[in-house]
Amino acid sequence: MQEDRSLIRARSLARRYTMGKEAVMALNGVDLDIQRGEFVALVGPSGSGKSTLLNLIGGLDRPSSGEIWVEDLELGQASDKRLVRYRRDRIGFIFQSFNLLPTRSAVENVEVPLMLAGQNRKARRERALDLLGRVGLGKRAGHKPSELSGGEMQRVAIARSLANSPALLLADEPTGNLDSKTGKDILNMLGELLRTQGLTMVLVTHDMNVASHADRVVHLLDGKIQRIETAAERNGYRAETATAEAIR
Amino acid sequence: MTLGDMISTALSNLGRRKVRTILTSIGVIVGILTIVTMVSLGIGVRIEINKQFAQIGLERVFVSPREGERNFFTQFAAPERTNPILPEDVERWRQLPNVREVVADVDLPLGVASALKIGAQTQQIAISGEDSVLGQTPFSTPPTALAGTIDVPDESGKIVLTAGALEDLDINPDQFAGLVGQPVEIVLQAPRGETQTFSFTVVGVSSEEIPTARVPLADRAAMKGWWFNRPDILATDGYDSVTIRATTIAAANELVPQIRNEGFRVQSLELILDLADQVFTVINVMLSSVGGLALLVASLGIVNTMIMSIYERTREIGTLKAIGASRGDIRLMFMIEAGMIGLMGGVIGIISGWGLGLLLNRVILWYIEREQLPVRGDFFVVTPTLALVSLLFATLIGVIAGLYPANRAARLDPLVALRHE
Repeated sequence: MQEDRSLIRARSLARRYTMGKEAVMALNGVDLDIQRGEFVALVGPSGSGKSTLLNLIGGLDRPSSGEIWVEDLELGQASDKRLVRYRRDRIGFIFQSFNLLPTRSAVENVEVPLMLAGQNRKARRERALDLLGRVGLGKRAGHKPSELSGGEMQRVAIARSLANSPALLLADEPTGNLDSKTGKDILNMLGELLRTQGLTMVLVTHDMNVASHADRVVHLLDGKIQRIETAAERNGYRAETATAEAIR
Repeated sequence: MTLGDMISTALSNLGRRKVRTILTSIGVIVGILTIVTMVSLGIGVRIEINKQFAQIGLERVFVSPREGERNFFTQFAAPERTNPILPEDVERWRQLPNVREVVADVDLPLGVASALKIGAQTQQIAISGEDSVLGQTPFSTPPTALAGTIDVPDESGKIVLTAGALEDLDINPDQFAGLVGQPVEIVLQAPRGETQTFSFTVVGVSSEEIPTARVPLADRAAMKGWWFNRPDILATDGYDSVTIRATTIAAANELVPQIRNEGFRVQSLELILDLADQVFTVINVMLSSVGGLALLVASLGIVNTMIMSIYERTREIGTLKAIGASRGDIRLMFMIEAGMIGLMGGVIGIISGWGLGLLLNRVILWYIEREQLPVRGDFFVVTPTLALVSLLFATLIGVIAGLYPANRAARLDPLVALRHE
């Protein structure tokens, strides 16, 4: 694999659903490259196709046409088995509603992906405790999700997503169920992780404040990319509005 | 995912709905309890019967002559023997290897009127030979000698009398010993009024109650010969039955076809035991079917529970699939869970079936002691094989019941499952 090739490459990606008799184009010809170590936010109104794009990148769904490459794997054509292994070893999912297993303690939840990968008990317990320490929950390892706050639950979920050392994190509204302060803490922590571990992250949100943390913001509308903003452009835009506000 | 992880996951999942899990496994418990109880009864009774038969002697072979079919005119006459057991046959069998003993027997016809005459007194009495093996049931106590010997000697002219016969002649037990060595007479009477007297010397008195005179084979043959007016009856009609005692059970089993090929009717206790085994197998299967029916209903309960539990956990299944669980992982996880319900029911069912058996054994023992029946032993026996097979069966029922729900869970689309509320 060449060094300069992007981590994710989408080529005329389309996904069609049939709702009753009508066909709905959730994605309609998307071309997108995401570089290694990049933090990309997908924004747009509901029905714009941002979640569909995330699911396609995550291998939870298959495109109706077009191609979606992650490293050397074309997800549309890959076998079910390859997709399962891809999801387990190369990506980490972070959900809006955390999706922790309610009967398992924090550390056991973090262990689940390691268990699925077939690691032995001792090694995965060590790894899980280490990860919980890194998200600042070392002391809450034995607690059940019902005994944790929303922010703590999302930290556990982040630790879980990192368990198998993936290259790519996929987050679907990770702060959607959190208050703004906790959400900001979570985003800061994610940003920190991306920088220190060199991870790539694709994040879906409708909140521009959240999206403002990203290196690039992809605006989607009706299944198509409307425009792509880089951080630099956005900072300029922000400066402009700040001036405008100051004048007003 | 390793098997150990699967099992501990299944256990923790079952643990979160304890009441439902227990209620579901009750069906399995009832089914396995029924099967274990019924089969253990079958095993116990079979062991008991085997024991009783072994006491009689499984190494014996019973030979009787082949008889011609009776028609309308001969249906009330004594059957004609197409292949009588002649003295030379008996002598030949005695020479066979692996034969320990050959006892030939002659039965007097039922119509023979016989009387015992001591001094001036006479008393109706039955004539028989040595106590035949089949005459002894497992439930009778063996007779003992009250005076002299109760083994009828081979020597002609000797007689063993029973206590019952003497009591009818008003002879007290303390006089029995004085009777040994004394002469007595047996008087046979033909329907036409002719009588024939046979003289004997008493050699012993047995404790039996039924008035019987035991006389040697030669005398019985002579009596029968007089009755049918054929002095050479042994040479023409032969013996009525012969018991061959082989050295081992295996040797007895070899003798059966061999003698049958010579044209005689042959039976052995092994054959009767086989028949009893077949009957018990049929009864066992019938009784176990009741348990089987309970298990069928129980398996539907397991299916229901698993479908409900999968519905409740749809989101979890979606999450697991999203973070890298394969269809196989999910399927196996739920099948193990269903199998665990079966296994648990099986364990409890076997333990309670075993306990019930112990309890019933006690009750039966109490009844036997009260009624003073001459049987001992356990009628409900749970063997390790029975326990193991029922355990496997219970687990298998669970796994089979889990097949459909587990496949449903495995086929769930992760995206749909994750959206499930």
